[in-house]
Amino acid sequence: MSRLTLVASVLLILALLLAGWMVLRQPKPVPLTPELTGEVEYCLTCHADLPEISPSHPIETFGCVLCHGGERLALDADLAHSSMRGGRNPSDLAIVQASCGGADCHSGTASSDRDHIPRVLRSLQGTYAGAIASVRYTFGAQPDLTARQGTYAVAQPDFQPGDPGVPGLAAFDPASETNPSIRAFAANCLVCHLAADPPQRNFFAAPEDTTPSSANHSVDPEFARLTGCAACHTPSAGSDLSQPLHRLTTAMPYTQCNTCHNRGNYDLRLMQFIPRADHPTNRLEDYYQPIAQFVRCEWTLDCIDCHTREEAMGNGWILGSQQEAQHTRCATCHGTLTSLPRTHIIQAPDDLALRLAFLNPVIDLEVGDTILVTDQGEPIWNARPLPDGGYEMFGKATGQRFTFRAVQGTGCLQKPDEQESRYCHACHAVER
Amino acid sequence: MRPSFFQHLHPPTIPAPQARLRYTLGAGGLSLFLLLVVILTGVLEMFYYIPTPERAALSIQEISFLVPFGGLIRNLHFWSAQFLVVFSLLHLLRVILTGAYAPPRRVNYLIGISLLALILALDFSGYVLRWDNGVYWALVTGTNLIKTIPGAGPALYSLAVGGNELGAPTLVRFYAWHIFGLALTMSFLAGWHIFRVRRDGGIAVPPPELRADPSRITRAELVRRETAAALLVSAFLLALAVLYPAPIAAPLRDLTDQAFETRAPWFFLWVQQLVRLGDPFVFGVLIPGGLFLLLAFLPFLFKPPAQAELGRWFPPSGRPAQITAGLIVIIIAVLSLIAVMQNPA
Repeated sequence: MSRLTLVASVLLILALLLAGWMVLRQPKPVPLTPELTGEVEYCLTCHADLPEISPSHPIETFGCVLCHGGERLALDADLAHSSMRGGRNPSDLAIVQASCGGADCHSGTASSDRDHIPRVLRSLQGTYAGAIASVRYTFGAQPDLTARQGTYAVAQPDFQPGDPGVPGLAAFDPASETNPSIRAFAANCLVCHLAADPPQRNFFAAPEDTTPSSANHSVDPEFARLTGCAACHTPSAGSDLSQPLHRLTTAMPYTQCNTCHNRGNYDLRLMQFIPRADHPTNRLEDYYQPIAQFVRCEWTLDCIDCHTREEAMGNGWILGSQQEAQHTRCATCHGTLTSLPRTHIIQAPDDLALRLAFLNPVIDLEVGDTILVTDQGEPIWNARPLPDGGYEMFGKATGQRFTFRAVQGTGCLQKPDEQESRYCHACHAVER
Repeated sequence: MRPSFFQHLHPPTIPAPQARLRYTLGAGGLSLFLLLVVILTGVLEMFYYIPTPERAALSIQEISFLVPFGGLIRNLHFWSAQFLVVFSLLHLLRVILTGAYAPPRRVNYLIGISLLALILALDFSGYVLRWDNGVYWALVTGTNLIKTIPGAGPALYSLAVGGNELGAPTLVRFYAWHIFGLALTMSFLAGWHIFRVRRDGGIAVPPPELRADPSRITRAELVRRETAAALLVSAFLLALAVLYPAPIAAPLRDLTDQAFETRAPWFFLWVQQLVRLGDPFVFGVLIPGGLFLLLAFLPFLFKPPAQAELGRWFPPSGRPAQITAGLIVIIIAVLSLIAVMQNPA
């Protein structure tokens, strides 16, 4: 054998060893065939340590690809992730229909209470229509407060005259606005809705430092949130957004609401958002509006204990103001001097209250049980009357049990037509 | 020792000066070796590849990531195909620049040119078989060029893609062409090409009385050199296949979405750049086709080099052909370079 052949043979053997070593080095593929797709996927090869997103979405049933998209067979990270929907957040409103939609999932009919996506897309939290209408009206760009534009265009199918809200919204176009205040609003304030990423800057920097940062995770952890469904249903407050947040819940703590609602305040003169400069640590004293008054339940309960899903996610109509959307009042749970809070007896196993209690089992409910409902008929499934004439409520996020009384039969000085919270605050506000 | 089967495939002796690597570049022999690697790896891929738009890219992902050694086989197929283009072009240049296209080798030159056309078509069709986001240009722009041919364009397009629009028939056609229409023809022509090399008198050399160095090497030595070259190239291909995987992308799910890779495969970058200059038929079909025909008919357009000047690089009597080929190479290289610089990956 010539020397050249020998050298060539040695090189070939080395190359073969290299090839063998690379093949051995590859991770052993971990297959998963979810029931709903019936197609094998290999995401778990790398993502085995990710916690299951929620008990309602078991991995054996849903797998990963149904919601996230991506290349189910690829064992190369770039390729596997290249076709994912919405990057790390498939619930972003731009792609939520593809990720979470479907008649049996979250874009079904209103009668089956599976219309979450269409409701959210028309909701104030999605469209921001009320703020846009109010600012445009204030600065003369529209003749009244009727909502005409949203952060995106949306329509109400089969809208009839006399229906609540408006038949549709056009997309708000800052470029076509001439008033400098409206333009400033567009530049500074359009981050307060579900389709927008939170402002990307350090809220605890000096107030004059408003330099935006390109990295999402530079949002202060206190106010870190994702977009779309995950803005509320993926608890993120205090988290590093660069790390995986693989959780969905219907037990949102108040801190998640605070990622939007306790971040600071807006300056209507400068048309700017003034982020708070302190670190909120005390729930009662660190609410962003120092003059606001609270009764005890407003700072001991979580927001979702009283505020219902239709208030937060929309009721299916395109509304134009918070007044139209928000209906929970003190009287909803406490009644008035002349009436007890409204109640509802659970009639059937498919009652919405049972479904909601099943998702977040802080209370034992069964057919025949009585729960509270709002004037609109929405279940307050975590509150019910007690045999002694009192009531109990279970914290949806904490599981904590509270008891309370109805107004009727007490010495309350309220007047029948004064039911807004400010009238209750006059006597019941806590000192802070 | 009696000659082995492989030795018998070679002439008993060949002229030593023309057997040197610096003369042949080993390009013809290595092209043959690469061809064998491409066919072997391609046959293995056929066991897993599924030629339907829904499954094609997924089956390639399966080959790449899940089939034992599948990724290695696919990468070898890819890299040997790329180097087959490189080495067959080198071989063509060697033949032109040494005047070896002269009679009686004109027929074999045409067979060789046909092989080059087949190799390019094979690379192109193999590229399309990926049916993923990375092949958008080849699939859409490339086939649309056919439409621009006056008169016959629409009919030829429909023949190439199997209907009026791209879809499942297109993929099946490319698959059938890749394997039967092109690879089978190429295998046949390659055999004929090698047969003609010996029929035409072996490697081109001056007549015996005009040779400066009459020494010869035996076929045992030739086979030894070929073996060493094949071993070296195998090692090189394996290392490439392990370190630099063949391109892969997410499946092509929506042909109307143009947000994908819009760069042509590297050997057609110059055509893509030409098309940017103006009328797609003139720049995308006529000019590239004309350049190719010019190359193909080189032996018929120019006077053959003097017999005494055969068997060496750049025979002075072959200047016009050398300059023509050189210009074509420079044009293609410059256009490709501009394309790369204007549209970096």
